[in-house]
Amino acid sequence: MSLGGYDVEVDRPGGLATEEMTLNMGPQHPSTHGVLRFIVKADGEVMREAIPDVGYLHRSIEKIAEKVGYHGFMPYTDRVDYVAAMPCNQGWAMVSEKLAGIEVPRRAEYCRVIAVELNRISSHLLSVGSMGMDIGAYTPFTHALREREYINDLLEELCGARLTFNYMRIGGVAWDLPPDWVPKAVAFLDRFEPLIDEYNALITYNKIYVERLANVAVISAEDAIDYNLVGPNLRGSGVKFDVRKDLPYSVYPEFQFEVPVGRGEMGTVGDSFDRYIVRINEMIESCKILRQALAGVPEGSVLAKVPRKFKPPVGDAYIRIESARGDMGWYCVSDGTEYPHRVKIRTGSFTATSIIDKVSRGLMLADLIAVVASFDLVAPEIDR
Amino acid sequence: MGYFTNIKESVATIFEGMSVTFSHFIRRPYTVQYPDRVPIRIQDTLPFRYRGILEVDLEICTGCLACERACPIDCIVIDAKKDPQTKAMMLTRFDIDIAKCMYCGLCSEPCPTGSIHHTSEFEGADYSLESMLRRFVKTPVIAYKPKKGPETDPEIAPILDRGMAYLGDFAAAGEE
Amino acid sequence: MKGLVAQLTGQGGSLAGMPYELVAALVMLLFGAIVVFVFVLPVAGVTSWLERRVWARIQSRVGPNRVGPQGFLQWLADGIKNMLKEDIIPTAADRWLFSIAPYLVVIGFVATFAVIPFGANLVVADLNIGILYITAVTGLVVVGVLMAGWASNNKWSLLGGIRSAAQIVSYEIPAGLSIFPIVLLTGTLSMQGIIQAQGWAPWHWFLFHSPFTFAAFFIFFVAALAEGNRTPFDLPEAESELVAGFCTEYSGMRYLLFFLAEWGNLYVIGAIVTTLFLGGWQVPHVTDNPVLLAVLQFVTFFLKSYFWVFIAMWVRATLPRVRVDQLMTLCWLYMVPIALVNLVATAIWMTVVPAGVDRMVQLAMTAMGAGIIVFFFSRVRFHLRRAKLRDIDYYYSPII
Repeated sequence: MSLGGYDVEVDRPGGLATEEMTLNMGPQHPSTHGVLRFIVKADGEVMREAIPDVGYLHRSIEKIAEKVGYHGFMPYTDRVDYVAAMPCNQGWAMVSEKLAGIEVPRRAEYCRVIAVELNRISSHLLSVGSMGMDIGAYTPFTHALREREYINDLLEELCGARLTFNYMRIGGVAWDLPPDWVPKAVAFLDRFEPLIDEYNALITYNKIYVERLANVAVISAEDAIDYNLVGPNLRGSGVKFDVRKDLPYSVYPEFQFEVPVGRGEMGTVGDSFDRYIVRINEMIESCKILRQALAGVPEGSVLAKVPRKFKPPVGDAYIRIESARGDMGWYCVSDGTEYPHRVKIRTGSFTATSIIDKVSRGLMLADLIAVVASFDLVAPEIDR
Repeated sequence: MGYFTNIKESVATIFEGMSVTFSHFIRRPYTVQYPDRVPIRIQDTLPFRYRGILEVDLEICTGCLACERACPIDCIVIDAKKDPQTKAMMLTRFDIDIAKCMYCGLCSEPCPTGSIHHTSEFEGADYSLESMLRRFVKTPVIAYKPKKGPETDPEIAPILDRGMAYLGDFAAAGEE
Repeated sequence: MKGLVAQLTGQGGSLAGMPYELVAALVMLLFGAIVVFVFVLPVAGVTSWLERRVWARIQSRVGPNRVGPQGFLQWLADGIKNMLKEDIIPTAADRWLFSIAPYLVVIGFVATFAVIPFGANLVVADLNIGILYITAVTGLVVVGVLMAGWASNNKWSLLGGIRSAAQIVSYEIPAGLSIFPIVLLTGTLSMQGIIQAQGWAPWHWFLFHSPFTFAAFFIFFVAALAEGNRTPFDLPEAESELVAGFCTEYSGMRYLLFFLAEWGNLYVIGAIVTTLFLGGWQVPHVTDNPVLLAVLQFVTFFLKSYFWVFIAMWVRATLPRVRVDQLMTLCWLYMVPIALVNLVATAIWMTVVPAGVDRMVQLAMTAMGAGIIVFFFSRVRFHLRRAKLRDIDYYYSPII
């Protein structure tokens, strides 16, 4: 794949020679989710190649870990994926706990699950909202963000911040649930669940929306596994794989919930509509998990004893968690000092970017936007 | 026939969508018109744990430098030296750069008295870069020495109570 | 107006002796200028304010409410701001075409105001080819948009311009075909003639005249939305795809002229729909005073056409955008055949159906229209109940 642009002569029947356009869907664009650049070679409206150019949001987070130490790295993990920051916190906490063999109290695990599921709902709300906005419907975006404000308020009472939470610590969580918080969270769930139905009536089953998304960028299950797609992207193609069910961690085995899978109800299995509807259904499942977790929080402490100078033994550990964007992998190599030797974060958006070129051949420019939105790419997760 | 089903579905879903939108049109908007049309100051509505701009209560600062060590971005600079004559710990400099601070809260956790804490203030925007460096020590002060029993000084007691309440909010590392 | 000119050029008049045609032309120009500056530009501006407020309320937020009472002067502030901005023309752009493209678009919509009837005697020029003139003159917009897209020397603008050209040219056909049943029913192309063939009561409107005119109304409205580049057909200026489409490279007043044309066009669409299908300025005969009658007719016409502006804004806030190939499919495979069927069926209706059945069908269609509106409000009530508005912080707004 060449990144330089050159115009290719296309021979049409009838002897009329045309050229391909090289368009730059640049880093500043109202609809690419974050700073992401695409170099598109288009024949009129139909694309021949769409090459993603990543790296505009690279902040060397993995290198910074080697300087700030284990405790100090926790706020940086918020910035790896700022839309769903709680799972990133949990990933780092879990990999440090695995390195040092620390056991997390049960109440802390419950607090973690509650925070992560709330954040999953909030991240999916943002995703479906901005997908609607990219397709042209401006109203569902504001409605989704209005609901997200309720979750932000809840999490603000829980940990003091609305976006970069820094809620979890190695060994547990930093703050216990405030006194009146559980009834407020349950009240939010009571309010939110009918609104998903209203959202579906507004946009999900709207004929124009369905026509824009159905049968666009169909990814078969084999392709999805070959290209390393994870999370709702993978489940939208029909593969029933969820880290919370298949490689369970934390207290997820104690909750009853389903794993929504794309069934091709409006088109083929694995099209953009399937990925979208998997996200909507995942929000409903998260509400179920939240109700069970909020009802059964055990008593106890929320933080295990961890030394201030955290020096895990020499070794390495790899942790897989289900973030809002899929299977997130955290790998840490420790050399016995209080600064890690190497941290590597494997994110779902990065691999989803790799399939865009393959899937967008023959699609129109408007479809490229829909496809990028349906993969729920967030640029900070791609570039770290 | 697919042709007429398409037409019927389009009309039905568009009708439904427009009824949802009209129901939103007659509802009250959700916007809080800040800063001039709010009933009370936003800063007073924020929860106790809100991580706003940092503040230091120098009356109860012990000069232990735990916050300076804990900060991942090194935005706190403290000069604390034992004065050779009086043998008391003197604080000559306590600077926090709130432009660098990422409001993570890692500094307020290890503080023994709760003197460095987050306020609910969030309006820090200003025209000059120098105002971003908050200097909390105007004249050198003696660091606070926590007493064995309850604090007797009536001026420092409420400040210490507030600081300990703030610290008490953090999770205690317990034994299971 | 003929009477006025005759008076001025007659024996005792102030312009006696001048040729009739010259004075008539000058008076027409004067009236046209008055209509444009006193009516059209403020209406386009106020439409922009109303659009932002309606959008915002549908999206659970407030919209501009600081500049003037309820933000009513926001459009004036925007206009002044745009006039004060630097006028940037890209170096590699075709200067002359770039400069005059916005003017062509504006001419394309302002020229339609010459035939829009606001009352029985309130029309600038009562052409006997009124509706055909409107269809012809709005075609200038295509030329302007194509020029804007090409002269910007920007691939994104070019894409926007080409999409727009395809869209507007294609949707002229269903729009025209939907006008023909009305022309068949009245036998005249003149706007005043079409209005005079209707009555003031809903069952006398052409909207409820027969099922075929009912369908023709919807096809015309959708095609007119497509001609005006409004969502769901706003691909030429699709913000999330093409930044701003064909008007990306424009800045300052030229940029505002495109949007002025778009909002003004909304009003023109509303006016044409009112004339053709909703009975225009017809009011029940409550007074003999000519001035009062004229005011009543003007207000009725304005409210009816502005209602359709509101509907267009509401549709824009609700629906997503269609893709280019879906746009073409919709036009050529759905709307054109249905419009043709409408035309033929109306012709057959006129010859076959006797007058008594005609009247019954009108009443039945009016009842059906009322039934649809009642069903709509029952759905709205269902949604309001489901959203559990018993929350303390979320209740009905006191304004509505």
